[in-house]
Amino acid sequence: MLSLLLVEMKIIKEEPKIKEKTRGILEGLGNRRANLIPILQQIQGVFGYLPQQAMLEVARFLNIPEIDVYSVATFYNQFRLTPPGKHSIRVCMGTACHVKGGHITLAAWQRRLKIGPGETSPDREFDLDTVACVGCCAMAPVSVVDKKVEGKADPTRVDGILLSYQLQKEKEEKEKN
Amino acid sequence: MKFEEIRKLAQSRWQEIWNDQMPVILVGTATCGRAAGALEVLQAIKDTVKKQSLSCLIYEVGCMGHCYAEPLVILRKPGYPSICYGHVNPVLVENLINNFLLNDDPCLEFVLGAIEENDFIPSFSDFPRSKYEKRILLKNCGQINPEEIEHYIANGGYESLAKTLRMKPEEIVSEVKGSKLRGLGGAGFPAGEKWDLCRHSEGKPKYLICNGDEGDPGAFMDRAILESDPHSVIEGMVIAGYAIGARHGYIYVRAEYPLAVQRVQNAIHQAEEYKFLEENILGSNFSFDIKLFQGSGAFVCGEATALIASIEGKPGIPRHRPPRVAVQGLFGKPTILNNAKTLAYVPHIIKNGADWFLQMGTERSKGTAVFALAGKVVNTGLVEVPMGTTLRQLIFDVGGGLSKGKRFKAVQIGGPSGGCLPESALDIPIDFDSLQESGAMMGSGGMVVLDEDDCMVEVARYFLDFTQKESCGKCTLCRLGTKQMLDILEDITKGRGKMEDLETLQELAEDIKQGSLCGLGRTAPNPVLTTLRYFREEYEVHIKEARCPALMCQTLIAYYIIPEKCARGCDACVGTCTVEAISTDKKRRIKVIDQEKCVKCNTCLAACPPQYDAVIKLSPPDKVPPSKNTSIPSPLMGEGEGGGEK
Amino acid sequence: MGVRNSVSSPSPYSPPTKGGERIFVQKMKDISLTIDGKQIKATEGEKILWAALENSIYIPNLCAIREKMQPSASCRLCFVEVEGENEPVIACTQPVKEGMVVHTRGRNALRLARTAAELLIASHPVDCGHCLKNRSCELQKIAKHLGIKLKTKRFRKLERNLPIDESSSLFIYDPNKCVLCGKCVWVCQEKLGIGAIGFTRRGFKRMVSTFEDQPIAKSRCNQCAECVKACPVGALVFKNKNFISQIESE
Repeated sequence: MLSLLLVEMKIIKEEPKIKEKTRGILEGLGNRRANLIPILQQIQGVFGYLPQQAMLEVARFLNIPEIDVYSVATFYNQFRLTPPGKHSIRVCMGTACHVKGGHITLAAWQRRLKIGPGETSPDREFDLDTVACVGCCAMAPVSVVDKKVEGKADPTRVDGILLSYQLQKEKEEKEKN
Repeated sequence: MKFEEIRKLAQSRWQEIWNDQMPVILVGTATCGRAAGALEVLQAIKDTVKKQSLSCLIYEVGCMGHCYAEPLVILRKPGYPSICYGHVNPVLVENLINNFLLNDDPCLEFVLGAIEENDFIPSFSDFPRSKYEKRILLKNCGQINPEEIEHYIANGGYESLAKTLRMKPEEIVSEVKGSKLRGLGGAGFPAGEKWDLCRHSEGKPKYLICNGDEGDPGAFMDRAILESDPHSVIEGMVIAGYAIGARHGYIYVRAEYPLAVQRVQNAIHQAEEYKFLEENILGSNFSFDIKLFQGSGAFVCGEATALIASIEGKPGIPRHRPPRVAVQGLFGKPTILNNAKTLAYVPHIIKNGADWFLQMGTERSKGTAVFALAGKVVNTGLVEVPMGTTLRQLIFDVGGGLSKGKRFKAVQIGGPSGGCLPESALDIPIDFDSLQESGAMMGSGGMVVLDEDDCMVEVARYFLDFTQKESCGKCTLCRLGTKQMLDILEDITKGRGKMEDLETLQELAEDIKQGSLCGLGRTAPNPVLTTLRYFREEYEVHIKEARCPALMCQTLIAYYIIPEKCARGCDACVGTCTVEAISTDKKRRIKVIDQEKCVKCNTCLAACPPQYDAVIKLSPPDKVPPSKNTSIPSPLMGEGEGGGEK
Repeated sequence: MGVRNSVSSPSPYSPPTKGGERIFVQKMKDISLTIDGKQIKATEGEKILWAALENSIYIPNLCAIREKMQPSASCRLCFVEVEGENEPVIACTQPVKEGMVVHTRGRNALRLARTAAELLIASHPVDCGHCLKNRSCELQKIAKHLGIKLKTKRFRKLERNLPIDESSSLFIYDPNKCVLCGKCVWVCQEKLGIGAIGFTRRGFKRMVSTFEDQPIAKSRCNQCAECVKACPVGALVFKNKNFISQIESE
């Protein structure tokens, strides 16, 4: 609970920096309405999500009501309005993956990470979501872990992947001390 | 430089690779290959070559079509045919290089097939599937490096563009119209007619958009072409732009395809360098540029007006038509929107002529179709067959039949807008119209084969779930109707369905199909309508008996370990159970599943050694015999930790 | 027909129409057509819906806005049958033609309209007894006209459980009652150029909201309450009942 509060406060403190950084990204970009989606994609590329301050800056830049920016941000799957976790897990729910047990894989991730699709773990290590189809149907069921496509990702493999992350984290902590 | 000079230079460079002066190694690094570990194989190749100080050429290629055998590597040793190896891993590839390239043993046990026909190794043309396949769109995939424009040019690329610029735009439109090319994005509208309408519509500038959104889950044809041969699409776009008089082009690629985005962007830059794009293309009066637009994740953006709305910076919400997009499209100007495959066909039609195209296919659907074969079939991957090939030939001869010796149940064609066809439909020739008559749809080419272990009600529910999440929400019938249908299907798959639900489902499906605003809504009920039409008994069993005959609907099944088959000493299931729901029965020393804890993840069934095969699924769950369970904590849970289950 | 131009009020944001062009529409031909057996006159190119409504023939509709250049065609209620057409057509998008014969109560058209209306009712928290829009609600009128009950039998009752916004001193916004007709959004964005509200999200979750779903009082809203006047159902209602009768008598 306390860690969540600290994270919230960190976000609030960062607001003026977000404004500045956004202005930097917008400099040199055309302020046509048609650029809205590429602009939001760039902003999410930098921040990992679409901060409120950034969206307001974009609205000002394009001279459109901020609700229009929010409409686009909430319409598309790609955009997220909350900060991501350190590692992203995307479970493919395409047809081929589904018949090879995609929903079982998703349930396995949910069980281990204790979060549902669209959520981030309380320690901000992982965020989980589904993706419609990655296009690797021959390797079903597929999970994309930090942009790496993991084929044949059944529950046993899920445990294997999480174990390797845990070992990696422990190694990093040892090296710090 | 004039085109002839460019071509000669590219061809001579291509000859230098293949003149058998030194070995050549090709690695398939499209997304499928990467998922299977192709990048690690590539690294191993580079390391081995360095270690052995071997002089050879290595380059990455795209999808070869045999996705079931990824990672794929082709080795070409001077004096031998090019040999393709499948299921390659870093250790194997090192051995292959040492044994074959440095010595003379081609390691036949790992060979998938030779590329060229020869006397001692079976080539791909000996495979049963090559009797049916005709790779036109996929010709270059797996042969050339998609990041080298010169490879494309050496193999005939951009020749059609040079030819086009010597012809009049009306002649190009006429040729495409004459070929009867129909859009390969799903609707199958005659491309030439659309172009003609756009050509004659007023408004400047005109736009040409390539639809690479490919939102169908289970479809990866457009991705493969964009990753493996992006220039074929670019060339098609320039020709189309010339024909309709467009000044600007867009390639719309979904952001979920990062490799395709990168390859297309790279291809656009190279085409600009070679003056195939931008001002005064190849010295002519025609100027045309292409911008890449990344879709931000919405299946509905595959719909033309929604796609256009997203390029305009708005939510991807379709609008009513008329006015037609060819008359009033992007920014209100005449616009042509074609699927990537349709555009990739254009250079071939210009090169070989409309008559060549008319020779292939059926009466009403000419040319070939590209399918992404997936699901329970042996040879999953990309195949290209002439229109008119039957489903049976495609699934059994090209696809190699059902995997694991299972029985064929249905084939799902056309993604969430398509339908499921049963065994009785297997002799239907693949063709836009015949598929539509049967209740399915060609769609953009996704084809998923289903076997006896797939529940058709669950498949319908799955597709409705997808369409429901992807509906834009504008029109009442789709937004609310698909939700109602989904809720009914969820109830049926959970054993809460009623017989009158089937009537409601049918009526609702028909009304949504007829009354929705856009193509998404009008085709969303297709999976429901086809499964109700061909698999009604399955629905009824779910409702009347709360039983799932395919043993797939999780609420209606239970996992059970057969006591007689369970090997006492084995702990395979206990160790792998993801929720520690399996314990050992004290008296009988067999393993027992705690039904309260079981999450039906299937891991125990997969883990149980094949000689025992003790784990089975039962439906309905009350079929599980009551156990006189006197369990003790399994050794893995540690001594003295108390009762094994709670 | 005269001159049509779109109004742009002074604001930092230009209304997102086609730049407020002045469209000179030439005097169009008067034609005659038949609707439900009644012969009426209309201007060529006019949509069937307006031709009917102007002649006191009611066709159920929720999302139709006359001044809008492109009809939304989202409510799917205004289905009618036109002789010579295989399937029912949407009245707000179909232009009239000389000699056209229209039936607003054709069986197929009614079936589609009823399904759309029943779906809306099944997602609407029906509570007419306590609703401030009782007896002036368009859903009630539509249900009565189509001969369907306000209690859904065929479909499951769907609840969205969205929070009700009472932050304004003048009106209440209950998104659960919203039928997504888009009239409030059009008024705020296009007619008045204010842009405090808009459509957000997608699919079943689609809803009218403010930037970051802030309470309406915290947004750019200037409390002009034009959206409330435009709302056909009880999603946007004035808090004060006297206020309502005051507005209605204007």
